[in-house]
Amino acid sequence: MKETQILLVDDEVIFTRNLSKLLEVRGYEVTIANDGKSALRAFGEKKFDVVVLDLKMPGMDGIATLEEIKQLGLFTETLILTGHGSSGTKAKADQLGAYAYLNKPCDLDDLLDMIEMASKKKHYTEKLDDLGKMIR
Amino acid sequence: MQDRATLNGDTAEKNGNPQQKIQYGKLFRRFILLTVVCSLVPLLLVGWGINIHYTRFAKSRLINSLQTQLADHRKIVELFLLERTSRLSLIAQTHSRDYLSSMLNLDTVFEILNRQDGSYTDLGVIDAGGRHLAYIGPYDLMDKNYKNEFWFKKVMEKGIFISDMFMGFRKVPHFIIAVLRIEKEKKWILRATIDTKVFSSLVESVQVGKSGEILLLNRQGVFQAAPRFSGEIMGKAPFPVGEIQKGVRIYVSESITNEKTQRFPRQIIAQTWLAEPRWLLMIRQDYAEALNEVNHANKVTLIFLHLSALVILIATIVVTHHMIAVIKKRDLEMDYLNRQFMQASKLASIGELSAGVAHEINNPLAIILTERQILLDVAGQLSDLNPDFKIQFLDSMEQIDSQIQRCKRITHNLLRFSRRTHSVIETVDINEFIGEVVELMEREARTSGIKFFTDLEENLPVLRSDPSQLQQVLLNMITNAMDAHDGTSYGNIRIHTRSDKNKEGVNIGISDSGLGIAPENLAKIFDPFFTTKAVGKGTGLGLSICYSIIKRLGGNISVKSEAGEGTEFTMFLPFEPPLELKESIMTKTKGEMP
Repeated sequence: MKETQILLVDDEVIFTRNLSKLLEVRGYEVTIANDGKSALRAFGEKKFDVVVLDLKMPGMDGIATLEEIKQLGLFTETLILTGHGSSGTKAKADQLGAYAYLNKPCDLDDLLDMIEMASKKKHYTEKLDDLGKMIR
Repeated sequence: MQDRATLNGDTAEKNGNPQQKIQYGKLFRRFILLTVVCSLVPLLLVGWGINIHYTRFAKSRLINSLQTQLADHRKIVELFLLERTSRLSLIAQTHSRDYLSSMLNLDTVFEILNRQDGSYTDLGVIDAGGRHLAYIGPYDLMDKNYKNEFWFKKVMEKGIFISDMFMGFRKVPHFIIAVLRIEKEKKWILRATIDTKVFSSLVESVQVGKSGEILLLNRQGVFQAAPRFSGEIMGKAPFPVGEIQKGVRIYVSESITNEKTQRFPRQIIAQTWLAEPRWLLMIRQDYAEALNEVNHANKVTLIFLHLSALVILIATIVVTHHMIAVIKKRDLEMDYLNRQFMQASKLASIGELSAGVAHEINNPLAIILTERQILLDVAGQLSDLNPDFKIQFLDSMEQIDSQIQRCKRITHNLLRFSRRTHSVIETVDINEFIGEVVELMEREARTSGIKFFTDLEENLPVLRSDPSQLQQVLLNMITNAMDAHDGTSYGNIRIHTRSDKNKEGVNIGISDSGLGIAPENLAKIFDPFFTTKAVGKGTGLGLSICYSIIKRLGGNISVKSEAGEGTEFTMFLPFEPPLELKESIMTKTKGEMP
């Protein structure tokens, strides 16, 4: 099976480097973006199954980035992983259709579980869509 | 001693601190002083002014009255003497010596003289040699020779003479009036004795108050009439008469005590010298009696004045007391509001700060966690690791993980504290709810020997509140209660519910038999980061989170504690959540569902 494509969006460079290392070891293909703009640019080059998105970033923040990603109309699931969680942003993220909302620091196993589930969801949604198209 | 700390301000402030008490005392005294100065001083000044004025007026009236009395009496005495002298003169001038020398004629004249008032005791005609030519009277004086008597010489010189009182041949106090007639160059004297009783009655019969008297003295200070009190006729007055002076003299003599142990209190005296004979007419009265009426009036005025002052003083004290009470109440309210405000702003600013800190710490924590995982990954791939190192390495990794988890708990607590969490209002059966929480905790408590007792009021109405937040509060309180038994192997935790007096909510009491809270810590226990637990065991946020939750749910929380005896927390929860909470939930819900 094709490797799961992950887009890791976080302004903490060390964190993104470390996490990508860990994920790659576990068989994921990871692309790093350290701000919202470069995350959106990355979508122009690749398709991602799961986006791991930080909320508090300079320039374009996580919520704005999520909005933009949703407008692209791609099949992709977003996990919010933030150290700045609050009920307001959680509600907003839920509303925008984020798959899950995780607080930093988060256990790697939990994150992996979430990524797996999100990736599956993305996969099935895509398949469902294909089936729908075929029927039509 | 039992201390009570409240953040809802119901009792702790009522006693006030000593500093405040002193301030209220000062205020009280200042009010009293001001009122007294502004009301009593003018009252007393006016009172005293009137008093002085009235006394002066009364004194001048007394002096006037004494003057009049004295003048009247002087006139009476002088008229009496003048009339007696005139009659004698008339007889001497109109009758010849020969005529009067006849006992029969003299008797007739004597009878006519006495027909009016009988004031003549005897009547005698005396020749120039001092012998009686004729005599009518009760005494046998016919053969007496007056040539060497003092009055005889005087009358021969002056023509008319009124003697002082003297004893004379008859050895009875009397005085005489003698007139000289020169008839054909022969001198003869008509001499009469004045009835001492009739004369004395002029003076004695006069009463001046209870203590007053009229005195008649000659120049040597001998009484010419019997005084009421001061002595007897012909007796020497116990005071000097002084020099002859014109007019009326009024003065006050200080109290004197003479050798005869007779005591004269302070007296007011009016005196005047008669023209002829030179006798001193004196009215004297006890000063106190003379001014009795004035004194009485003054006394009444003073009593009235002081009573008024007393009434004003009492009224002032009562009014001031009331005012101070009002001020105190106002202060307490202010104090309470201030505290509320302080607590709220403290929580808000600490909330902001802690949220910031938590966020900033979460990112490095996440990095540490990933670094740890990388190390573990790398180590897992290495097969030729020193076994000792491997054991140590895994131990350290475990420790790093547990410390990260600890940090995470702290930051999550901080965030929960600061976060205006999304409240959900649901129906809560508080008794059932407490039962569930207790069941949850009992398992943990059993190992530490702590027993739970619940006393829940039956048929309590259901609450409309946020169950997840309530659970957080209850769990926190019960955990605290259990921690309070640290070091003992047994203990009780009692939980009771009672509906509020006004039927607006429910009171929940959680009491433990633990160590209690030191009095100095009572006021601080709801402050964020205040903890008495060992480092690493508590963040000091539990109770402040409980406090802010309960406040948000429209309730109150208070604590009573006795060091060594235990602690009791009492929470009030309203049946209905406050309006602000309902509104905030409504707006949020609207925002979420466009």
